Amino acid sequence: MRGLTGKVIAESFNQVGFTILVIIVVAAIVELFVYVLFSKILKNKYTLPVMLMAPAAVGLLLLIIYPIAFEVRLAFSNMSLRHFKNPTFGIAQGWNNFKLIFTEPVLKQVMFFPLLLRTILWTAIQVSFHVSLGLGLAMLLNRPMKLRGLYRTILVIPWALPQVIAVLTWRGEFHYQYGFINIMLRDIGLNPIQWKTSPFWNFVAMNITNIWLGVPFMMVILLGGLQSISREYYEVADIDGASGWAKFSRITLPLLKPVMTPAVILGTIWTFNNFNVPFFINENELETSDILVTALFRAAFQYNRYGFAAAFALVIFLILLVFAIVYMRATGGIKGVYEK
Amino acid sequence: MKRFLIALVVLLSVTALAMAGGAKEASGQPEKKAAEKKAEAQPVSITLWTKEGEADNALQYVKALADSFTKAHPNVTFEVVNKDVEALREDFQTASLAGSPPDLLWTVNDHAGPFTAADLIQPVDNLFDLSKYVDSAVAAVKLNGKTWGVPISNGNHLMLLYNKDLVPNPPKDTDELIALGKKLTHGDQYGLVWNQTEPFWLVPWLGGFGGKVFADDGVTPTLNTPAMVNTLKFLHDLKYKYKIIPAESDYNGADTLFKEGKAAMIINGDWSLGAYKDALGSKLGVARIPKVKATGMWPKPYTSGVFFMIPKDLGGAKLDAVKAFINFATDKENQIDMVKKLTRLPALKAALNDPIISSDPILKGSADQMVVGTPMPTVLEMRCNWDAMKPEMQAVLADKKSPEDAAKAMQKAAEACIKAQQ
Amino acid sequence: MNNAIRRFFFRSRGDSPFKRLIIHLVLILACIIAIYPALRIISVSLRPGDRLLSTSLAIIPKDATLDNYREVIFEKNFFLWLWNSLIITITTSVIGVILAMSSAYAFSRWNFPGRGPGLVFLLATQMIPAAMLMIPIYILAARLHLINTYKGLVFAYSVSSIPFSIWILKGYYDTIPGELEEAAMIDGVSKLSAFYRIILPLSTPALAIVFLFNFMTAWNDFLLARIMLQRESMYTWTLGLQSLQGQFQTEWGAYSAASILIAIPVMTLFLFSSRWLISGLTLGSVKG
Repeated sequence: MRGLTGKVIAESFNQVGFTILVIIVVAAIVELFVYVLFSKILKNKYTLPVMLMAPAAVGLLLLIIYPIAFEVRLAFSNMSLRHFKNPTFGIAQGWNNFKLIFTEPVLKQVMFFPLLLRTILWTAIQVSFHVSLGLGLAMLLNRPMKLRGLYRTILVIPWALPQVIAVLTWRGEFHYQYGFINIMLRDIGLNPIQWKTSPFWNFVAMNITNIWLGVPFMMVILLGGLQSISREYYEVADIDGASGWAKFSRITLPLLKPVMTPAVILGTIWTFNNFNVPFFINENELETSDILVTALFRAAFQYNRYGFAAAFALVIFLILLVFAIVYMRATGGIKGVYEK
Repeated sequence: MKRFLIALVVLLSVTALAMAGGAKEASGQPEKKAAEKKAEAQPVSITLWTKEGEADNALQYVKALADSFTKAHPNVTFEVVNKDVEALREDFQTASLAGSPPDLLWTVNDHAGPFTAADLIQPVDNLFDLSKYVDSAVAAVKLNGKTWGVPISNGNHLMLLYNKDLVPNPPKDTDELIALGKKLTHGDQYGLVWNQTEPFWLVPWLGGFGGKVFADDGVTPTLNTPAMVNTLKFLHDLKYKYKIIPAESDYNGADTLFKEGKAAMIINGDWSLGAYKDALGSKLGVARIPKVKATGMWPKPYTSGVFFMIPKDLGGAKLDAVKAFINFATDKENQIDMVKKLTRLPALKAALNDPIISSDPILKGSADQMVVGTPMPTVLEMRCNWDAMKPEMQAVLADKKSPEDAAKAMQKAAEACIKAQQ
Repeated sequence: MNNAIRRFFFRSRGDSPFKRLIIHLVLILACIIAIYPALRIISVSLRPGDRLLSTSLAIIPKDATLDNYREVIFEKNFFLWLWNSLIITITTSVIGVILAMSSAYAFSRWNFPGRGPGLVFLLATQMIPAAMLMIPIYILAARLHLINTYKGLVFAYSVSSIPFSIWILKGYYDTIPGELEEAAMIDGVSKLSAFYRIILPLSTPALAIVFLFNFMTAWNDFLLARIMLQRESMYTWTLGLQSLQGQFQTEWGAYSAASILIAIPVMTLFLFSSRWLISGLTLGSVKG
């Protein structure tokens, strides 16, 4: 019980109370402002929804807009360790930063486009495994059976385990001598694998880890989707004598689409931006295991190229934005979400 | 409605409580500021960031040191925060950028490079009498003619540690090492282990083969040299020709093998001595890394140490307190206490001559290895060298690249990195 | 795909005993894969000394001991870390849920101008690489004197999980027919109180899920906590655990024991919310 003293407890209550107070006061001011502006001055019929959204919107603007503005400004500077306190800002610096991204190695040797390709490969592998394994497990669980609750609970464990702990555990399991995979390989007479030093196997290792981490979330979402599909569809299909495959492709998949599309979009974004897994599994800092966001982190914090890293971050952000818009246009899947 | 009223009452009481707290907080601020202006007997609070962690009892040592200083000077209190080496550097830079750096750093010498490049720390030449410290330690934080840190301990160097049960007499040169290693490598036992992932373990051999990572100007990388190729060949041979080291070995793996008695010898740093003394007791032996037979030269491990660094804008009562604390922490009594508790070599000349060191075979061995060491470069360019060497060394050790190609790639990467830093 | 496999996957009715056996076997295998790494942490936490590494695959080591747990509980600031994490996380989750639930209602029930772009903006916030926000958020926090306070963290965490929360809640509200509120409004109840009295109680599963998500975000954060909390008495468990790792040495036994103890609150939360976990996650929602 070391360290947890009455003083500490009192101090934390004090802090929490003060935090809540600040939030209430700020929210009240914002609400009052919005009310007066929309209802009294503009006489807008959407006053209520705007008031409902206002506090969250203000928070988001502060937390998102300020940093983005900061990064944009930084992207147009030459800030680095040698120009730390008084960097110069200007179009020329910005142009230089953006040019460097595409013409010079982003880190030591790796260029931007191979890095982008690897990131896309990583995302594609991850999302397809998450969706197919998640869907398979969800379909197995979506039936009346014994021990169903128990299976479901155990299968969710990788998601419930604190992520950093899970990733560091996996890293331990990829140890050449002491990891369980290599121990098992040795036991059945195969050669152990150099998970940490071989670029290919390190990439495999980070994929294994993230598949393990990501399947439960997809399984749960898809199980929710499956359960909301009315049994009647299948009963009618049974009467018509439809095969299992026909039911899957004509009923299950189309009806799952509204759940699947946003899940795939979010899954893609999260995987694309996944930091913990590629960063921590790659203990030897192999450049061949870096994806865009880990390269971004290294450029900013290990190489201290702040201006360059800011420009780099904006490029990554734009790539994702374009992807999401194209994907949504192509599938029309998000329409159901935002068009009533 | 009733529930609403209750909620309101609860809310209001929480609010009142918080307001009271807030008011207290607000009134505390100006008092503190006024205090700093007044005489030095006023309370001073020092935030100290240290790279020392709890695992090897070093953080406990730092805290005890701060506490005993507070005992003598009740007006000075400390907030000791542990950050691992990389985090300390990153966070100190970020915090300085935001204008809220800590008041004192307890860190490794190579941080002086980035911190001086970014103009974040102040020189200590005029603040302390540096002549009382060991010259090689002070040299490790000299840049542009100024000294940027006060040494706490000296060393941080690699040496050969061996298990006396398996190795009665340590090898004197690389031929003996290989012969002995072959004899001792069988089953799940290895002749020699070390952390194969970090080039810090490569540079001693590079020195032994007559190479250096910088030209004489101290900033131009010289990684594509015959010495580097020979070093890489030698390491590759140890693994693939003589087979006396594990196929893949990181710090923890090597460490565990040695502690469990499954490795006869390990190359590791002075920081590990305490833990090995606990694990192996009197079976632990310390020697120089064996001489390179081909050149007849001793390998040259990098020596550095642990240093106090003072943020650029620190002044007034805080600087006075920090100065007093540094002098206190490096006085003879505390230096000898550190030798006892952490098994590190002291930076104070007066403490180095103490019989406690010459009478302890382990410390003596450590000091003996240091004689042939070479100070680790502090310049910012060193970071590029480390980053350039690391993947190429790993590629050679994974048998993915020839030593010649790796040396070429190292040089190229280091040059590109230095260019990007400008 | 041959017929047997097809039938196996897609026919749920009248499964033969053999098929049921196969399904159970597949699920048991999946469960083993899911739980094995967690069991390995338990295994390390039971080992004496600082031996993370062992070539034994046994879960309960020969010389099992609870020493590591004793050390973590009595000799480390474990309860302090747990307390700090809990108080920050719970405050964050409550505030996050409150902020998101009303916003999501607006998105679900009104077709105001800018609604579509608004939802896309929320999605876009998920695309910002976290590393990009570190420095500006730190500077913002330093200017507002939020370093070493809960305020900064609570604010950052609760706001950062709003977009995803809105998505989930909006999807769930969409499944609740608008007639319910309209009927209540005919009885003279305002739209707002119809929301509080009818929609929110019906949305318990989704609210529970959003709470869970907010909880996980704040509970597991390391990067932001590392720069915002520079005082040991404020350490959350992620920082505390980090402090068990030295530059070269790590107290693996204590580290694993602490990991297990830390996982317990989240696991419990998952167990309690598991009955809502599936029904509450109607991302995008299936209508009808």
